Amino acid sequence: MKRNNSIYSKLATLFIGFAVVLTSCDLEVNPRQSIDAVGALDTPNGIDAAINSIYGRLRVESNYGRDLLALADALADVGRTTSNSGRLIGENNNQPNAHFTAGFWQNSYAAINEANLVLDQLQKGVPGASAAQLARWEGETKFLRALYYFDLVKAYSYIPTAIYTPGVTDQGGIPLELDGVITLEKALTRQTPRATIDQVYNQIYADLNSSIALLTVAGRGIQYASGAAATALLSRVALYRGDWATAASAATTALGTSVGRVTGVDNYVSGWRQSANPESMFEVRIQLAAESLGVNVSLQSSYTALLNLENKNAQGGWGDFIPNATILGFFGLAPLQIGNPASDNNNWDVTRNSDVRAGLYTTGNTVRGAGRQIESTKFISKNGFAFGDNIPVIRKSEMHLNRAEANYHLGNEAESLAELNAFKALRGLGAVTVTGQALLDEILLERFKEFAFEGHRFFDLKRYGRPIIKTTPAVNVQFDDFRILPPIPQREVDGNPNLNQNRGY
Amino acid sequence: MKKVLLLGLMLLFASAAAFAQGRVVTGTVTSGDDGLPLPGASVVVKGTTIGTATDLDGKFSLNVPQGSNVLVVSFTGFTAQEASIGNRSVVDVVLQADIASLGEVIVTGYGTQPKREVTGAVSSVKGDVIQNLPVQSFDRALQGRASGVQVRSANGLPGGAVNIRIRGVGSVNAGNEPLFIVDGVQLNNAANSSFTQANPLAFLNPNDIESMEILKDAASAAIYGSQAANGVVIITTKKGKSGKARFEFNAFGGQTQPMKYLDVLGGAEWYTMRREAFQNSGNTLPEANALNNMARLPSNWQTLTAAELEAIGQGLPTYDWQREVMGTGNLQNYELSVNGGDDKTTFFVSGSYNYQQSSFQPVDFERGTVRTSLSHKATNRLTLETSINLATVGQNVPFSLDGSFLGNPAFSASLVLPHNPIYNEDGTFNQAIGGVLGQNIVLVNEYNSGKTRTNTLVGNAAATYKILDNLSYRALVGLDYNLIQEDRYRDPRTPDGAGVRGRATAATDWRTRFITTHTLNWNKTFNNVHNVSALAGFEFVSETRQGINGESINFPTFQFRYVDSGAEPVFVGGFWTGYRRQGAFMSGNYSYKEKYLFTVTARYDGSSRFGADTKYGLFPSVRAGWNIAMEDFLKESEIVTDLKLRASWGRAGNDQIGNFAARGLYGTGGNYAGQAGMRPTSLPNNNLSWETNESVNLGLDYGFFSNKLTGSIEVFDRRTKDLLLNQPVLWQNGFSTIANNVGELQNKGFEFELNTINIDKGGFSWRTAFNFSYIKNQIISLYDDLQFLPANPGIAVGQSIGNPPVPGAAAPGSWFVQEYAGVNPATGRPMWYDINRNITYLPLAADRIYMGSNLAPYFGGFNNTFRYKGFELTAFFTYEYGAVVSDGQYNFLRENGTRLTLNALREVNDRRWTEPGQITDIPRNLTTNAGNETRGAGRNSGSAALLKADFIRLAQVTVGYSFDPSLLRSLGINRARVYAQGLNLWTYADYPGYDPEFVGIGTGQVPLTKNYTIGLQLGF
Repeated sequence: MKRNNSIYSKLATLFIGFAVVLTSCDLEVNPRQSIDAVGALDTPNGIDAAINSIYGRLRVESNYGRDLLALADALADVGRTTSNSGRLIGENNNQPNAHFTAGFWQNSYAAINEANLVLDQLQKGVPGASAAQLARWEGETKFLRALYYFDLVKAYSYIPTAIYTPGVTDQGGIPLELDGVITLEKALTRQTPRATIDQVYNQIYADLNSSIALLTVAGRGIQYASGAAATALLSRVALYRGDWATAASAATTALGTSVGRVTGVDNYVSGWRQSANPESMFEVRIQLAAESLGVNVSLQSSYTALLNLENKNAQGGWGDFIPNATILGFFGLAPLQIGNPASDNNNWDVTRNSDVRAGLYTTGNTVRGAGRQIESTKFISKNGFAFGDNIPVIRKSEMHLNRAEANYHLGNEAESLAELNAFKALRGLGAVTVTGQALLDEILLERFKEFAFEGHRFFDLKRYGRPIIKTTPAVNVQFDDFRILPPIPQREVDGNPNLNQNRGY
Repeated sequence: MKKVLLLGLMLLFASAAAFAQGRVVTGTVTSGDDGLPLPGASVVVKGTTIGTATDLDGKFSLNVPQGSNVLVVSFTGFTAQEASIGNRSVVDVVLQADIASLGEVIVTGYGTQPKREVTGAVSSVKGDVIQNLPVQSFDRALQGRASGVQVRSANGLPGGAVNIRIRGVGSVNAGNEPLFIVDGVQLNNAANSSFTQANPLAFLNPNDIESMEILKDAASAAIYGSQAANGVVIITTKKGKSGKARFEFNAFGGQTQPMKYLDVLGGAEWYTMRREAFQNSGNTLPEANALNNMARLPSNWQTLTAAELEAIGQGLPTYDWQREVMGTGNLQNYELSVNGGDDKTTFFVSGSYNYQQSSFQPVDFERGTVRTSLSHKATNRLTLETSINLATVGQNVPFSLDGSFLGNPAFSASLVLPHNPIYNEDGTFNQAIGGVLGQNIVLVNEYNSGKTRTNTLVGNAAATYKILDNLSYRALVGLDYNLIQEDRYRDPRTPDGAGVRGRATAATDWRTRFITTHTLNWNKTFNNVHNVSALAGFEFVSETRQGINGESINFPTFQFRYVDSGAEPVFVGGFWTGYRRQGAFMSGNYSYKEKYLFTVTARYDGSSRFGADTKYGLFPSVRAGWNIAMEDFLKESEIVTDLKLRASWGRAGNDQIGNFAARGLYGTGGNYAGQAGMRPTSLPNNNLSWETNESVNLGLDYGFFSNKLTGSIEVFDRRTKDLLLNQPVLWQNGFSTIANNVGELQNKGFEFELNTINIDKGGFSWRTAFNFSYIKNQIISLYDDLQFLPANPGIAVGQSIGNPPVPGAAAPGSWFVQEYAGVNPATGRPMWYDINRNITYLPLAADRIYMGSNLAPYFGGFNNTFRYKGFELTAFFTYEYGAVVSDGQYNFLRENGTRLTLNALREVNDRRWTEPGQITDIPRNLTTNAGNETRGAGRNSGSAALLKADFIRLAQVTVGYSFDPSLLRSLGINRARVYAQGLNLWTYADYPGYDPEFVGIGTGQVPLTKNYTIGLQLGF
């Protein structure tokens, strides 16, 4: 019995031992590739890195990586699809739901939240930061927030110059989120409704004006926000808003800066062959091979089957989306055999007219087996690695066209026409003499030619309430058609009772 | 213990009696099982206390007094036998195993139990059942063997992942993986290879397994608390038995073959189909356009007539790409084991080599293993054990695990346009492939290379100390190292490597798991009727994973294939992650006369994965059993041999979420212009805690007619509460999801097992084992009264959540799609039902309905074994019913070449709509609008391409012959068996794709194979 007792007391000790071990053993394991969100942004390096991420989100497929250029142009009347990889066909046919993607909404709002978190932190202060840094961070972040909101609102909502209302509810703008989410409570409870279109544009104005005030004109380079880039973007936003005076004045200011250089007949095409287009006032930089979107969805792959211009036989991308007859007509493009044998893709090029922009088109290759097509080569691995091209967001030429269009609406037709003709001269075209509606049409036509395959056309039609008319494929989308607007992602509508879906979805 | 003491006493008396007069009798005691000598058997002169024990060779020598003429020979687990001596001086005795008295012993949580005392839902699969199956990991071999356990191979990669679900799918976002324990070491079964699937359970040669126990109900598993929510699979490996060294040699070899080649169109057929599609689309040059699609349009085509072009099309040849890249592969397996020992030390040592090719070469699997198991009784009270498993596995990797990559042979073989020659006339590869799949996959397969090497060590060391005769302490430390090293090369001579002049990728993944377990076991019997036992323990588990990886491009020539030779780095990466768990547990058993059985267990467990305040959880269980057959009214029954009613309730936990899911973090991401970026990656949830599984189990074990008919019936209700759900966050708030404890899920079901001895007469026996399971899986509730999850409406109240393909993947949910209504007979347009059951060409989101999930509610297995003398025949079937799947490979084929220039299935093409009045489900062929009608949904939309994945499969057929041991003895061989075996020889399924058994998207996955083997087993 005695022995048993001692055993039981040993047992008890053992159990107490367990209990002690249990409560004292450290179950804390910390990640080594991530840091705690609390305090992540209170160093200058942290803010720098957080802002880089916001820039980085411009690069993804759903934004400038592809969709804001290629998908937008596929929706419009710029080109046709080849079925080489099957991409962009639905969009080009304006099939219901084939439109700007859920990823566009998701990625843009994630970027906006990151911008809001940076701005929240800047308000609290960043230990060790200089006044210049604080100004730059705030200016760049507000530029980015304005750009993301502008891209969202121009896609998901009608544009102030042409709001379709008859018989339907105007679903308004998009939700405006101006403070960051970093807690569970806020993430699960904030259910912001759509702001009005006007509220969204006011916010974009406010952010851009703040950027212009905070940033130096040239900033850190054209891959980053600068005062000039903010001014140029303001000109475009004002143009969309029908605020013609601002559009014109901002264009004038932007043109007066040292950022970007409008190219002419001699250097237009060569500008497109440089890694940084000299016209760029703001571009999305693809610096490393790892930043390229690769063979399937990069802009180069979307537009051409060529890998490079040196050897047309090298297998490149898919060449899914190519010029339609309208574009071919603009530049006098037709296949031209320049050597023998015909089976060698290098023995083919195109005929061109005097328009210098025709130099950006040539024949592709037959490596993908779907025939040799005439393709756009605006994106052609200019950065020295496959599918690596910087993506111009604002080219300085746009400022001339913005100002010409704004002046037309302001009643300054003479100035408008002069600017248009000066611009045409830069592209190797003769002057025109037109007035009134014909002048406006001529300006829009020039925009069409200049920005083909850069994602402007769909919105230029949309902001004038004009229908999309296509022969190949044979699709007409009238302005009253619900397919002018994309669906808001269903999960957002399902999860937010305050969010109205766009008409027709 | 008492027996040992008694034996000692007897020996004492024996030596005392040796002085008496008598004669010396010698002999050998052997086992009737295998004819091997039995060391340590007791030999006693009947009616006396005179006796001895047999030595290592089973031999004994005994002084038998005058007048005594009978020896009593006994050994634990064998029926005692009396042998009359007569006038012999040599008495050899063969003991027969005593199945009735010993009963089957089941390994349960931290101990063993006689089967008749088990009160939970436990299935046991003995090692010999899965012996010599040409499978690389034991989890695959469990398919169809136990009720409630659903096993699917993820694909046909040898040594690839296996999807194992015990009693349904219990979690949407947290893992659904059971806990695997090999000799006390808890394993992680996640396959972490980047380029192939390296199933970590493949480290163990399945032939080294003694038994596998599957704890199915929460009550049985709750002693493992935190990790037991999805059930527990306990593997016991073979151990040494005392006696002289016994050698076993085992070899088999054979072939793998594709189960199926898809019947696709030939060159001229494809041309005809495409030409018709152009005609249907109003194209004025259908012949020219069809030829152009195939890259066969002559340059002078404008000078040719339509008829001439048609003749070219009709003259196109056909090449069989599937048979070029798919085919037979080799498999072979050799192993040698030796075991033996004395009364203090036993050992088991084995080595094995296994090789198997898939049907898509060079994808293969090569493994070598070495295993050592030692046990040593240091003193009467202290026993030391160790078991060490070493394995190295090499796998040639596939182009990709799945996906519609042009260079992926498993994808392209059936889809490449058939008129393309594989080789040029001079024998070189044809590289001008017409159609969207513009790569010669035979070339790609030939030039690319990649290898995954997995080195594993799983080992333990344990000590058991008997503090008292009825109280013992056991300490175990275990290690699980899993090192994966891999590299892959995209050759610059292939299209994917050409643009970048070669791309090499290298990766490593080193996983280290440490476990230590300390338990105290106590038992006592009061008044011979009250049996009480108790167990208490503590356990600590730590796992870390880390790796580095990198990729480079731009190689001098294709001969340079390693990542360091690339001029341009694409990325350099690395990662580290880890977690810890600890827990204290206890259990108490009480039984009265072995009739009434009660068990309670409790475990208090903590996991580093949870929120700061909610790390710990309590997991209790209660079980009760009533051995009705032991009651007086049945004791004498000739019909009822065994009858036991069981009931249990238990709660187990699940923490299979990301190691840092509860934390609000900033991670690296969004580098821009070569500058580092970081972004918020997760939201903090300080209250994140255990997902719990509460299950109620009612079971009946039965045995009738002297156990000629045995089995069990179970009903269960398994509820998962506080689901670890990735609750959707509005994207407009900047995040996608947050891990949160919301919602409830149910798996309720019925299991039936029946084992019969149909005939056992005159050396002929026929035994049958059948099992059947039905499990209904459904969401009981979500949060905020939502009827479906906003981000995935397939996760909906009242619907099945489906089966997640790999660890870490979310359950896919039920199919929530528009129901397909076939083709409009008048026009050939595909139609769907809208929500009001009207026909529509353009169904909306509001028209979606629930149409089942990929989780089969009915499944099981059926085994027949026939034996006659040395011959045996085994035929084993598995079956599944009720799963609805989307097979990506079939989806591409079902497009019938309309969207992309891909080949098509003959049976699909034959069903296409061609003329008014035709009732069919395949729309007319078109070329415009991606092959779809304008303002009409895509032809595969909604439920149009969903497939029923029901099947019955002859999973195994074995014909074997064991030679008569008495004939072999002279050769020095104790045992010899030869056999021939076939796996997956026959499948009954109405399934148009390669095989209904797969998990994941189905696109470009390597399908399962048929295997044929012949083998030889020798024991000496």
